[in-house]
Amino acid sequence: MLKLFEREILSVDEISQAQTGINVRDLCVHLNSKLVLNNINIRIPKNKITALIGQSGCGKTTLLNSFNRMNELNKNHQCSGEVWIQNRNIYNRKERISRLRRQIGMVFQRPNPFPMSIYENVCFGLRIQGENNRRKLDDSVERALKNAALWDEVKDRLFDSAMLLSGGQQQRLMIARALALEPEILLLDEPTSALDPLTTLYIEELINELKKQCTLVIVTHNMQQAARVSDYAAFMHRGELIEFSDSDSLFTMPAKQQTEDYITGRYG
Amino acid sequence: MRRQIQLNTHISAKFNQELEGLKHSVLTMGGVIEQQLVNTLVALQEKAPSLAERVALNDSKVDVMETQVEQECMRIIAKRNPTAGDLRLIMTVSKTATDLERIGDEIARVARLVTLNKIPDSELVFSGMLDIGNRNVAMMRATFDAFARQDDKAAILAHQQDRDIDRVYKKILEQTAAEIQANPGDINQWMDVLWAIRAFERMGDRCKNICEYVIYLTYGRDMNSALMKKTVKKLLK
Repeated sequence: MLKLFEREILSVDEISQAQTGINVRDLCVHLNSKLVLNNINIRIPKNKITALIGQSGCGKTTLLNSFNRMNELNKNHQCSGEVWIQNRNIYNRKERISRLRRQIGMVFQRPNPFPMSIYENVCFGLRIQGENNRRKLDDSVERALKNAALWDEVKDRLFDSAMLLSGGQQQRLMIARALALEPEILLLDEPTSALDPLTTLYIEELINELKKQCTLVIVTHNMQQAARVSDYAAFMHRGELIEFSDSDSLFTMPAKQQTEDYITGRYG
Repeated sequence: MRRQIQLNTHISAKFNQELEGLKHSVLTMGGVIEQQLVNTLVALQEKAPSLAERVALNDSKVDVMETQVEQECMRIIAKRNPTAGDLRLIMTVSKTATDLERIGDEIARVARLVTLNKIPDSELVFSGMLDIGNRNVAMMRATFDAFARQDDKAAILAHQQDRDIDRVYKKILEQTAAEIQANPGDINQWMDVLWAIRAFERMGDRCKNICEYVIYLTYGRDMNSALMKKTVKKLLK
């Protein structure tokens, strides 16, 4: 039969072990004695963009933070379950957090450049790792800035303060800073909520390009953005994962009534 | 105001691809339909039931294609929230796919006349059917060409070809009525012939609809509205 449109997206049940970027098993997280994540099981596909959607306080950011163990910055944190990345359970006692966070980059809602030059911002992580070879640093900075679609705008002023850049440029600088470490996974926590619509589209296009290099997980309140940018989407509610499927299905024919109610603006 | 829709200018490269793919899919579907009609006319002319049978069977392919186009339109609307020209394009594609599917049904109806061996003996009616069929092929080609290029003038010119089809249709109807009066015993066979002639006329109407969608796509207005009538006159000058 003639096929008019090619689809490369697999359904979530078809994702094999080799195609899984992050495998979460029975994850429960308590913060300040409150159950924030309740028994989450999800397999996030490799080299794809997965969006986490849901109301405020439903646990999206906590789930994102549990992928690089950022939740542990809260002292009243308890967690059980497993998160497997590259055949390693990152909650294993022997796991080195510095190594883990080198593998997993993160970009936050508001750009937070350090009060130093653009160049130093990008190579900050590499310097912390002990890399001081100027040529290697130059190469990494150029590559990261090019990948973040910022190079052409800043190549003549790499040693100016990063604080002088516009909001959109600062956010792309944050992406470049994360990319300089060549992460396998990039976590984005509402990366465009402080940006204008056109800059948002540029960053979304950039995110789409980045999936060739790494697995991306994006938390967003903007449902249209989740629909536009993601290959897979997970809907969460009150700490539980309600539905996880490819975005085409989730936004046209969700399996659960609760998801349909949320994405059509009937509650929440 | 006339607007040419630029498909390749979105920031999102994927969206560009999706819209290109959608437009391309309708043209592919149009190509299949055109081939179906040409095959039907060959089958009619050569009285070849096997070819006509193949046309009738192929119609299910067209139905599947329509479903695929509809689903893709829905997916793009849900995921991209298209606006303005992009939204008009998607609605146009969706409606065109529906009309193409109906044209496919009409073609299958004519093909079945050949498979059931109910081709009229009357030379006048038979040649009239071939004439209206060939006119339909010409109109269809002009319509798809106008659609592919989003060419408003070409769409209006293709739209006008339906007048000729209607004229020929009326003539064949009169000839058929005369034949029926002469041989009232064969009324059952003539009923099928009448349906087939009617099918040719409907194909022209469907092509006319597609031309109107092309005008809607470029101007955002119904072709038959008072405001568009002036524009149409101007274009034809």
